[in-house]
Amino acid sequence: MTEYLVRRFLQSLLVLFLVSVVTFALIHLAPGGPVQIFLEPGLSPAAAQQQIKNLGLDRPIPIQYLDWLGDLLRGDLGYTFKGHIPVGQIVWPTFKNTVILMTTAWVLTLLIAIPWGIYNSTRPYGLSDTCAALIGYAGFAMPAFWLGIILQETFALKLGWFPLSNMYTYGQEGDVLDLLHHMVLPVTTLVLINLAAYLKYARSSMLEVLGQDYIRTARAKGVPERCVVFRHALRNAMIPIITILGLDLPFIVSGAALTEAVFNWPGMGQLFVQMAYSREYQVLMAITLIVTVVVVLGNLLADILYAVVDPRVRLGGKGVETA
Amino acid sequence: MSRSIPAGPGPEAGQGRGAFGPPAADLAGSLPGAGDTGTGLLPDSDTPWREAWRRFFRNPLAVAGLLVLLLFVGVAVAAPWIAPYPPEQIDLLNVDAPPSPQHPLGTDSIGRDIFSRLIYGSRVSLLVGFTVAAGAVVIGVVVGAIAGYFGGWVDTVLMRIIDVMLSFPVLFLNILVLAIFGGHFRYLILVLVLTSWMGVARLVRGQFLQLREMQYVEAARAIGTPAWEIMFNHLLRNSTAPIIVNATLMVGGAILAESALSFLGLGVQPPQTSWGQMLNNAQQYMLTNPMLAVYPGACIFLTVLAVNFVGDGLRDAFDPRHRVRPRRLRLLAAAFGRGTVGTGGAARPAFVAARRPAAKGGHGR
Repeated sequence: MTEYLVRRFLQSLLVLFLVSVVTFALIHLAPGGPVQIFLEPGLSPAAAQQQIKNLGLDRPIPIQYLDWLGDLLRGDLGYTFKGHIPVGQIVWPTFKNTVILMTTAWVLTLLIAIPWGIYNSTRPYGLSDTCAALIGYAGFAMPAFWLGIILQETFALKLGWFPLSNMYTYGQEGDVLDLLHHMVLPVTTLVLINLAAYLKYARSSMLEVLGQDYIRTARAKGVPERCVVFRHALRNAMIPIITILGLDLPFIVSGAALTEAVFNWPGMGQLFVQMAYSREYQVLMAITLIVTVVVVLGNLLADILYAVVDPRVRLGGKGVETA
Repeated sequence: MSRSIPAGPGPEAGQGRGAFGPPAADLAGSLPGAGDTGTGLLPDSDTPWREAWRRFFRNPLAVAGLLVLLLFVGVAVAAPWIAPYPPEQIDLLNVDAPPSPQHPLGTDSIGRDIFSRLIYGSRVSLLVGFTVAAGAVVIGVVVGAIAGYFGGWVDTVLMRIIDVMLSFPVLFLNILVLAIFGGHFRYLILVLVLTSWMGVARLVRGQFLQLREMQYVEAARAIGTPAWEIMFNHLLRNSTAPIIVNATLMVGGAILAESALSFLGLGVQPPQTSWGQMLNNAQQYMLTNPMLAVYPGACIFLTVLAVNFVGDGLRDAFDPRHRVRPRRLRLLAAAFGRGTVGTGGAARPAFVAARRPAAKGGHGR
């Protein structure tokens, strides 16, 4: 187990390194590089050269990368070109906002989807199952941002029940009730879109288990149905579901870029889009890295959880099959 | 396989089906799956492809999806003839007009005909959808085939590359590339292809790993068939069905991705129009013209829904384990499938990650 964890940790570091190299290279391969945008118009060529030199952008790209990496290892994410603000100061507040929005949506989705999916698996093709199927069709085919816009038009503009966008009413920053009021529409959007997948997984993994021989045996020997479902079937059905939860963890930091854009939520996804336009590449690198860290952690967590909940799985020293 | 004598090719072939031929030969010929089924000897069995074809057309949802999809394709192809106006034509006297005989769905805030723009928008969405799926299949098949056939360190290296690719925050990568290189149709397709082939590669690799242990492959190798011929003629051909299903579901994913990126202003640029890009404009005019946002989204929704129905229909048609359910239940069966590994992931690039297969079948490793 320890050996496995160490190896996975090293692999994760390698993945992070590669992702950062590729992102860095992409930014610097761009026509004009990150330079053009930061130079104030009307600057004399000599002054422009001086500024490029000051920013360290005249050095070879590998050197710049190593420089960036060294700073990162010292915990320094760098500074923005415009205004020379520390990147952490810009990124972390938006990170927090994204996590607030996404965690709420994710937890709510799971709280609805898993019990409902389990219920549907005990009454397949019933009325409730039909409703879930319709939600499934819609959720897989609907652009999330469109649903957001429609909800905005209906519940914010027409009915006026909820605020149109933003995180707080101006002047009421930090007010929890105001925050909750603003969260209703974006959270509803995210829940409706993501419900489909979890409903499907909860239902199908339950159905798969319920069709197995040991369930028939349990029923045949007279175990009460409630006990069959919750004690015998659910335990095994949870194995794939729990694994999926680990794999979807990155969703908390990366899943909301579009919803954030629709509702003008000051989150990391929206920051990324803005910063991509203005080529603040230190910020872009930081966000990409944060998201990748969460992806890698999620994958690792999924593998570990898988071994924890399923005693048949041993995380051996030899290479684990990457499916 | 031996073929029974009375059912040989010829005008009487059809009449020979009930006749008793020489017992030994007939027995061999009537074993399930044996012999040439085209001779009419076995009226109930058919090639797997034709069987799948028939199953597909017995599935009302799949057929409906196909019809809707064909309709949209027809509209896209015939756009210049159908659309009442050029999509970028501005009519400043008719701004934000309600639906009228001149403008069936009204006009937008600078007086462009919404109906015409929707028609032209279908071109971008469908072109992106199909091109991206095709491109991803080509890359995925090549990588997956090499990894699965050769195995060993080649396989390890390629799978590691895929792992790294899957660790990329795909949406962010797309945004980054398009913002840096400029939103353009070509870049949009390129970046979507480069970030969506991994699922197909894993699928093909899995198929190849399974199939290459089959005896007929061993036989082919024994008689000295070259590697590429085994890969194409024996392995790839037998993997076509899951690849097609996966590709179909990828079309829907690509259409959604295009609309999302264009909505963010990073995909298709004006004056060219796409459904996603129309939504980008629509949000600014929510107060004056709320319907502006409804139409393009509804088109995306319908198209992706149709594609997904076709994909699900194909999956069920190809799946030999598929049992024909009572008619009434078909809708539900199609909705849920069995959560078949490797198909559900394709349509959801963002958060149901492609590593899903790890959740199943890993027992004992």
